[in-house]
Amino acid sequence: MGGRFTSPTALADALAATAAGHRPVAGGTDLVVGTRQGKWSLPEDLVALDRIEELRGIEETSGGLRIGATTSHADLAGHPAIRKRWTAIADAASIVGSPATRHIGTLGGNLANASPAAETSGPLLCFDAQVEVRSTAGSRRIALADLFNGPGRTTVRSDELIVAVELSELAGVGSSYVRLEFRRQMEIAVVGATAVVSLDGAIVIDARIAITALAPTVRRVAVAEFALVGTDGGPDAAAEAGRLAAEAATPISDVRASLEYRRAMAAVVVRRAVTGAIARARGETIPIPASASLFGAR
Amino acid sequence: MRYLVTLQVNRTSYPVELEVGRTLLSVLRGELGLTGSKEGCDDSECGACMVLIDGRPVNSCSYLALQAAGRQITTVEGLASGTKLHPLQQAFLEHGAVQCGFCTPGMLISATALLAANPDPTEDEIRAGLSGNLCRCTGYVGIVAAVRSAAAELANAD
Amino acid sequence: MTATLAPTLIRQDGRDKVTGSGRYAADLTVTGMLHGAFRVAEVPHARIRRLDTTAARALPGVYAIITAADVPEVRYGAFLKDRTIFARDVVRWEGELIAAVAAATPEIAAQAAALIEVDLEPLLAVTDLETATRPDAPLVHAEWATYEADENLVRDGNLASRSTIVKGDADGGMADAYIVVKDRYVADGSHAVPIEPRAILAEWQGDHVTIWSSTQVPFAARSGVAETLGMPQNQVRVIVPHLGGGFGAKCELGFEPQVAALAQTAGRPVKVVFSRREEFLLPDHRRERMILELETGVRRDGTIVARRAHLIIDNGAYSMDEPFLGQMAAMFAVGPYRIPNVDVSADVVYTNTQPSGSVRAPTGPTTCWALEQHHDVVAERLGLDPVEFRRRNLVHEGDTGPTGQVFERIGALETLEHAAAAIGWGRPLPDGEAIGIATGWWPSFPGASGANVTINADGSGTIVTGAQECGTGAVMALPILAAEVLGMRPDEFRILYQDTDAGPYDGGASGSQTTFNNGRAVIAAATEVREQLLDLAADLLEANRADLELIDGMARVKGSQTSSVSIADLASQAAGAGLLLGRGSGEPPPTPAVETANCVGRLGAESFAAPTFFTHAAHVKVDRDTGVVRVLEIAASHESGVVINPIGATGQIYGGVAMGIGQALSEGVLLSEDGRQRNPYLLDYKLQTVADVPPIHVDFVDAPSPTGGPKGLKGIAEPPCVPTPGAIANAIVRAAGSRVRELPMTPERVWRALASTNGEN
Repeated sequence: MGGRFTSPTALADALAATAAGHRPVAGGTDLVVGTRQGKWSLPEDLVALDRIEELRGIEETSGGLRIGATTSHADLAGHPAIRKRWTAIADAASIVGSPATRHIGTLGGNLANASPAAETSGPLLCFDAQVEVRSTAGSRRIALADLFNGPGRTTVRSDELIVAVELSELAGVGSSYVRLEFRRQMEIAVVGATAVVSLDGAIVIDARIAITALAPTVRRVAVAEFALVGTDGGPDAAAEAGRLAAEAATPISDVRASLEYRRAMAAVVVRRAVTGAIARARGETIPIPASASLFGAR
Repeated sequence: MRYLVTLQVNRTSYPVELEVGRTLLSVLRGELGLTGSKEGCDDSECGACMVLIDGRPVNSCSYLALQAAGRQITTVEGLASGTKLHPLQQAFLEHGAVQCGFCTPGMLISATALLAANPDPTEDEIRAGLSGNLCRCTGYVGIVAAVRSAAAELANAD
Repeated sequence: MTATLAPTLIRQDGRDKVTGSGRYAADLTVTGMLHGAFRVAEVPHARIRRLDTTAARALPGVYAIITAADVPEVRYGAFLKDRTIFARDVVRWEGELIAAVAAATPEIAAQAAALIEVDLEPLLAVTDLETATRPDAPLVHAEWATYEADENLVRDGNLASRSTIVKGDADGGMADAYIVVKDRYVADGSHAVPIEPRAILAEWQGDHVTIWSSTQVPFAARSGVAETLGMPQNQVRVIVPHLGGGFGAKCELGFEPQVAALAQTAGRPVKVVFSRREEFLLPDHRRERMILELETGVRRDGTIVARRAHLIIDNGAYSMDEPFLGQMAAMFAVGPYRIPNVDVSADVVYTNTQPSGSVRAPTGPTTCWALEQHHDVVAERLGLDPVEFRRRNLVHEGDTGPTGQVFERIGALETLEHAAAAIGWGRPLPDGEAIGIATGWWPSFPGASGANVTINADGSGTIVTGAQECGTGAVMALPILAAEVLGMRPDEFRILYQDTDAGPYDGGASGSQTTFNNGRAVIAAATEVREQLLDLAADLLEANRADLELIDGMARVKGSQTSSVSIADLASQAAGAGLLLGRGSGEPPPTPAVETANCVGRLGAESFAAPTFFTHAAHVKVDRDTGVVRVLEIAASHESGVVINPIGATGQIYGGVAMGIGQALSEGVLLSEDGRQRNPYLLDYKLQTVADVPPIHVDFVDAPSPTGGPKGLKGIAEPPCVPTPGAIANAIVRAAGSRVRELPMTPERVWRALASTNGEN
């Protein structure tokens, strides 16, 4: 039956194992569930990353953040700098799965899965995150925008490991991530949206808007961003951004929602995400997670 | 390939020989005979299999047993001290938090993790902290009351 | 308030459950045990052309495989014997069993089950309810006419059972009405979803089999095994370890015969443990899909003058208790209202989908959801407040029910007033929020039941009963009743239960009947012991027997502080001679007399014994852009005769409300066009989490029933989920302006209703 397992404490050993064809496992939440449900077979050989200290943790760098790949969603959601300056990431990380999933599931694992419904991907995309991947041959940086190839597919090679995500500071921005939630907890994104805005006085001078679970990958919607820039970010402008994003979305019909409903909800969550981001940019308090705070907002 | 590892469960060492694909839950319930942790689903949705690993709640149905080697694992069987129930266990009995009991072990584990991280939780924090554990019997009313009561009990004991 | 015998009862099984030491069926292992797996149809309708187990048998570690060819050909079913324990020739729904495998490990068993070669010739499947009723629809059972059936069943082709409730002159009533309102509701099926997926372990010794099973009805499982495998009931022992919830899904015969037959063939014990997916797909107990057409004529003053209704109810591929439930649905379509003229029909229709069967208050919540929305529509048309409309029409003591039964003392109206007051009916609320209300009723089920009570030599008590504890605490509360009769404390008793070889017959955790019937049996058994104790005490104290009382663990001369003897001393004496043994069953109370001359399909639900009444009020907030509904508060008022164990009774209401919210908003079976379930897993079949369930205000109205259970109590486990969906539905329309006529009222459905309605109601 085979099946080799290694659980190194040094990154170099993990890279060697990866080069030898071991598949990485961090928290194992997706890997094990997928195996049990017969979605895939457990790979022959595994290398566990959970004992590698240098892969875990959040470090404030000059003008930014470096987040280790095995940092948990709970750690992301609780980090003071993320909550204050990269708030949309905290919005997203604090609503991933259950409390247990948030403790065990890692940022790197989530990125490697490349789910179009991954909560943190939209915020990371809007914050211009860079992903550092490493192999025994060296390391390279991939802009998050270039990481996802399609549902479940990334541009990370099989001999590479995601080791960190780097964020640079965007001055004076407000951000939020909003997800459509059928229940108050234990949800998966059926539709989600991120907005990151910068204001000059009352005017939006920069806007990034991403949609989640509305296309084969999490993606930004330039047309909605352009429309928002130069406006006051008020209700009409937010609604227009939502309308444009919904038009640009390519949703599917499945067991969770119809295409038509998803598209209509795209407009709503984008509008709310913009509203939340604008409010935060103005220094107003929208408690984390924004999805719950903005429930019912017209 | 089989690996001989030691699992530390409820302060007891268990040497076991495991293949890579084994989940922690299957080893706890199988080789170790600790059937208190339950299997209610297979996708981390119900929480009946919840255990603590190094103090953090984990769905043991979705966790590789080999990854738990060398870590401190706590199951529901490890909550009481001898015949003396943990304040959470006692509170569950007194507040009608137990009906069929199938969610109870996982619920107690999540509650333990919650109170360790947040000894004086608000009602909303209790509800968020237990949201990965489904109960079909109680409407959760007795469970929330029990956690609140145990928190007070534990605070007084300190 | 309410008669309270035990302010807080600590459950006997509680310590087992909080320490993890309590064993459930899946936790058990016996020497030599193999693991079983089923092979199921995976298609909705097909003829089995060929079944070849050769490759599966060749897999190392496989010890036995059985199919229909290996078991007696016995058709069974509660009212309609239309099914066999394995498919013969034809499969009629995706979860139908074709074969069972016993192997060394669960993995090998599953692998072998997959290796069984099944050549299926697809047959036209009928999955749509209305299509199934058409004369040209393909028949789910081509040979339906040959099946043995209850003589009262009215059936024809895909119509498995029709029940009607006819009273007065509905046509005349409608003609006389000031206005007539007619509308239509459609409900998806839903699931019970006990957190414990079922497990069955069977072990043969000689000619008798012991089956440890997660069943709510051990005696029905026993008789079912005996019937299908052709053996006497006393060679079948069914033991239920702790049961991890049932909610009806573990009623009737489960999978005990198949596992027993497999173990017999293997010559080894076999255990089958269901995955969550199997727990969704394989049981023959899914809450029924329904289409409800309701019509009501009212006078100008708001009193109802006539009701017509036609219900189409999904039977699924096979009938267990669904024909009976169809008749209950017909009763619920009338509701607890004074209606002089009634014409209701309920058609239970075969489809190639999972069989329907009892799930907590079967047909109750769905019918109440439709009817109570319909009543709000009527009230709206009349310009009447919904509470006032119900006030003018709810039944009172002395009124007659749908089939002419005369109501005794009841508290229907009080539950309405109490729920309305508790929720603050009429108070101003923020935009997007509103309150809705719904009232309903539910019968008790008198039936045979037995128990034995003994006092041991040290004065401790033992109750041995055939009753089943599914989690509700009904069995756990039995000591309250025995203790009261014997002047002891409840915690001085231990209970041995849910073992068919240990305790006398009981109907099981079904129909909310445990305290009603087994409570009566325990009181009768304890009363026998009481007589024995009094005899002993009279001798010992040289007192007149009539002057004695049992109190505080003593037998004493009434009023005397000195002339007494402890029960422990009496028990110690008895241990050397005539033992303290009591057995009891008691006479089930009579069911009310009814007039059913014009009704057909009478299967026993035409008379509602000791009915319970209840009203829920729901305060909701609707996110009008998304259709997401949040329930903020529920007030639940129940008249359940009397309550003897408050912690247990309120626990039932809390749990029922949570289940009702789930059925209202998030729980529904999504069917593909070919009749397969698309969401047999918890991520997309969404139960309410602890974060979703709001504060629940519970109120009990006392109205002890002369024909109820002990002290006049009525069944309480099922009713609490009945009115919740209707109350939420009526709140949604008041909050958002649109009525949602599909169940569950998912965000997308609410959103569509909001998008499509302009001013309608």
